[in-house]
Amino acid sequence: MADGAASQEDVLKGIIGQPTGKAKVMVERGPVTHFADAVLSTSPIYRNPNAAKAAGFDAIPAPLTWPFAMEFAGKWEEIQPADAPTGSPLMAAMGPLMAKGGLILHGEQEFIYHRPVQVGDVLVSEGKITDAYQKESKGKTMTFIVSETNWSDDKTGEPVVTARFNLIHRS
Amino acid sequence: MGEKKLSWSDVNIGDEAPVTSHKLTRTDLVKYAGASGDFNPMHHDEVAAQAAGQPSVFGHGMFSMGLLASALTDFVGVGNVTRYQVRFARQTWPDEVLSSKIVITGKREEGGQQLVDLSVTLSNGDGEDKLIGEATAAVPG
Repeated sequence: MADGAASQEDVLKGIIGQPTGKAKVMVERGPVTHFADAVLSTSPIYRNPNAAKAAGFDAIPAPLTWPFAMEFAGKWEEIQPADAPTGSPLMAAMGPLMAKGGLILHGEQEFIYHRPVQVGDVLVSEGKITDAYQKESKGKTMTFIVSETNWSDDKTGEPVVTARFNLIHRS
Repeated sequence: MGEKKLSWSDVNIGDEAPVTSHKLTRTDLVKYAGASGDFNPMHHDEVAAQAAGQPSVFGHGMFSMGLLASALTDFVGVGNVTRYQVRFARQTWPDEVLSSKIVITGKREEGGQQLVDLSVTLSNGDGEDKLIGEATAAVPG
């Protein structure tokens, strides 16, 4: 048991700094407006390019939590970087824990916006694991893994949004 | 770039955004699943959720964060938020009334920008917090 605990700790320490992936996404009007509907925003800025321009935008901007979902709609297969890492260090650490049962929880989420994401953007991401640790709480083992994904503008290279994702396994 | 909602000379620490409330439905969760691509059955499949020991389907944490974001940008204006962070404190359940509470906690000038800090929470009708977080927004003009 002690050996098992030590090796799990080594696994966690070993994944800090490892890349979680690279992606390229297209930001399109239909999915952005559909997403605004789904988070129950009624703002015309998310729907009408004239309303967006009147508010000072070049194009329709995306709601704040869109970056968490934009790979679903916009990660077109043929534009993905050839050197995107395969496999995920996050799954390497969580996989064996999940196999033993327990619960995976989304603990925290943070976005830092360098500029608004807008329809027409082509964004590229690089992600890495920034922290991984375990602690005991109320007789449960809690495993925390934090990853950070930096999205930037594919044309200019300027930073657009940083997303921090905190995943917890509790068993 | 950003929708003008707040005025720098008028904002004060302690100011609160209008409370927005929404009664969560299963349809909300199906819509969010479709728009976000999160098809974890715990959020749309009642049979699977009950088989897993849950009383019913429950809300995506990111649906709650998105709902609270809509209240936040209604208050500070679309395009002005520079940081938004939440901790997912509890699950949300269909028929709960989810209400936002957004309070200005700081007002500062930094790097030529006029900024306000805000505390943001989403809670149910019994006052149980579902999301607890913070945000920063630029106040144009």
